[in-house]
Amino acid sequence: MTAASPARHSRGPAPADGHPLPWLVPAVAVLALFYAIPVLDVFRLAFSDASLLAPATRVTTDAVRGTLTDPALLSVLGTTAVFTGITVAALQLMGLAIALVIIRGEDRGLPGMAAFRTLVLAAWVVPGIANGLVWGMLFDEAPYGTLNSLLGSVGIGPVAWLSDPQMAMVSAMIANLWQGTAFSMIVFYAGRKGIDPVLYEVAELDAATPWQTFRYITLPLLRRLIAVNTILIAVQTLNTFDSILALTGGGPGRATEVLALFTFNTVFYNLDLAGGSVLALLLFGISMVLALVVLRGMGRERAAA
Amino acid sequence: MRAILLTTAAIAALPSLGAAQELIARNRVGLADAPNTLTFSLTAYDLYSSDPATKETFEGLFSDFIAARPDWKIETQLQTASIGQEQARLLQQSQAGRGPDCAMIDSSQLATFIDAGVLKPMNGVFSDDEVADLFPFVRDAVTDADGNVLAWWWFTDLRVLYRDTTVVPDAPQTWEEVQNAALAAVEQGREGILFNGGRWEGTAFDWMANFWAQGGELVDAEGRPVFAQGENREKFLSAIAYYQDLVDSGAAPARVTSITDYDAFNAAAAAGSAAMFVGGNWQYGQLRGTLDEATFANWQVSELPGPTADMRATGTGGWSIAALSDDPEKASLCGEMVKEIYAGAGNAAQGLLPTSAAIYDQFDTYDGPEYAQFSDALQNGVARPGATIYPEISNQIQILIGDVLSGAATPEEALETADAAVQAAYARQ
Repeated sequence: MTAASPARHSRGPAPADGHPLPWLVPAVAVLALFYAIPVLDVFRLAFSDASLLAPATRVTTDAVRGTLTDPALLSVLGTTAVFTGITVAALQLMGLAIALVIIRGEDRGLPGMAAFRTLVLAAWVVPGIANGLVWGMLFDEAPYGTLNSLLGSVGIGPVAWLSDPQMAMVSAMIANLWQGTAFSMIVFYAGRKGIDPVLYEVAELDAATPWQTFRYITLPLLRRLIAVNTILIAVQTLNTFDSILALTGGGPGRATEVLALFTFNTVFYNLDLAGGSVLALLLFGISMVLALVVLRGMGRERAAA
Repeated sequence: MRAILLTTAAIAALPSLGAAQELIARNRVGLADAPNTLTFSLTAYDLYSSDPATKETFEGLFSDFIAARPDWKIETQLQTASIGQEQARLLQQSQAGRGPDCAMIDSSQLATFIDAGVLKPMNGVFSDDEVADLFPFVRDAVTDADGNVLAWWWFTDLRVLYRDTTVVPDAPQTWEEVQNAALAAVEQGREGILFNGGRWEGTAFDWMANFWAQGGELVDAEGRPVFAQGENREKFLSAIAYYQDLVDSGAAPARVTSITDYDAFNAAAAAGSAAMFVGGNWQYGQLRGTLDEATFANWQVSELPGPTADMRATGTGGWSIAALSDDPEKASLCGEMVKEIYAGAGNAAQGLLPTSAAIYDQFDTYDGPEYAQFSDALQNGVARPGATIYPEISNQIQILIGDVLSGAATPEEALETADAAVQAAYARQ
């Protein structure tokens, strides 16, 4: 070890020492090309009169004013908050629960754990539209609808899965949960696998209960991962519109019309590219704020530690 | 010389290998090395239909068409089922000069394309007599003030009332008769009447017949939205009240607010759970193929009922084909394709309703009694307005119907909201 140290010193300064900018140029260029330029273009369109029928002809705040004062926006934001808040919380809980069950099963050598993991992951690769269509068939309220028939056989229901505004929201969340849980599961599975097994052995020697082990070892060590996962799945959920489009189309009325779907409708029904761009920026802003809040919370925790 | 060689090659290929297999590929019609190319954006319901018989028929028609033009190939671009999105993308591409040479355009979007100035005349292909033979609402939609033929609306469709005659023997003529017949059917354990009530175009379009039957107008002559103004307001609320009463009385199940496709009605008919439904004319053939002969014999169609027996309307839709290329040769080829493949033989192959009277007499397909019903109903056909605000009007009507039928808003509140949203959107257009 000691012999290696002088050799390392003799290498001299690293290439980027004192002049990091040239080394950052490729990364910055790629980011600018694929991320910044499209965002700037959306920004430009938001302050224009562009529609799908005609390109932008002038700079104006009409679209910003018109879109942000649209009475429907408030209800759409409310729907989005409920959908995102509950879905993100549920995705975390279910992802964590499934990851812990799989690891517990693997630790005990239970057969079928790999198959179980694959089964959960299979839902993740289903396209959003297909997800919406599949759940649409399951939630079908016709006398021969799948879930209602099953519930009927045990004397429950029928449930107005999609025709009742409140239940339609619950149904949209269930469909999203089914698909999105796999991502959380992978994140938590990887995080839990990364925890030093010695800690669990010590806990076992100290006769810690499963809850104590989870509360004082697993949860604290997964905390940063939970924060990162919150950002990722919150952004993912905020952008969800394909499965809802296929499942309810945003209805009944506007009961399940989230911000991403509202943006889609503004562009493709209203043909209002400028208005859609304003909404896209709003979505972008909400995602950014959410990410900053969570990252700031993480920063405080790190400082306190 | 090259053309002659290609012709020979194409003809030679026909008997030995089968024309369709040789000349039809997933994204091409004709020989791959043909010198001229026409790009054609089309839906998946004919040449690429999942129905083998339809596919085979269109492969034959396309093969004949391209064999007669061996120096051409058609590069096909398949549109997805997301009609609104596809059409918006098509319009955007065309405006940017990157659109296909020829494309299928939903009849409801035709005015938008014409207003955008992206459609090129196909005058030389269609004679004055052929244009004159089009149904008036079709002729008005496809020609401009100078008489240019900017598209060819090759089939239309309409909405009718389907009923199981074992439960509802006589065709209801009025809204009141519909409700009474549906309630009687409910007592027999059936769902009285089904209709589209979810968040999609079909909901607004099917319902509009009830508004139009009273003489209601969605937009004025300048394309300004007026559905919530003056007499239109009363007619609008009256048509909404009709649907609301059906659900509130139990004549229609609450689940109609979740119905977002016509297939749900076929399924209900097959399961024997529904007594009536508001469906499209094309479903008649689907029911014939789905139900056993005896059950199918019980189902009949009739004109959509109105507030009174003499106030009727039905929404007419369908698809058109238009040239988007500045090249007159390509525009002509696009028109010839419509004429030789779609309008006529293509209609008959799928039982789709032609838009000109002559074709009904030309093909045996249209001898069935149901076509007499459809033909009668078409007399009261109303097309969606050719205004760029129409998609937003439809969107707001879908929201309104969902809110009213699910009890989230009163008809008056919902109409106020819808009107405000449409006017705001119109002001920004």
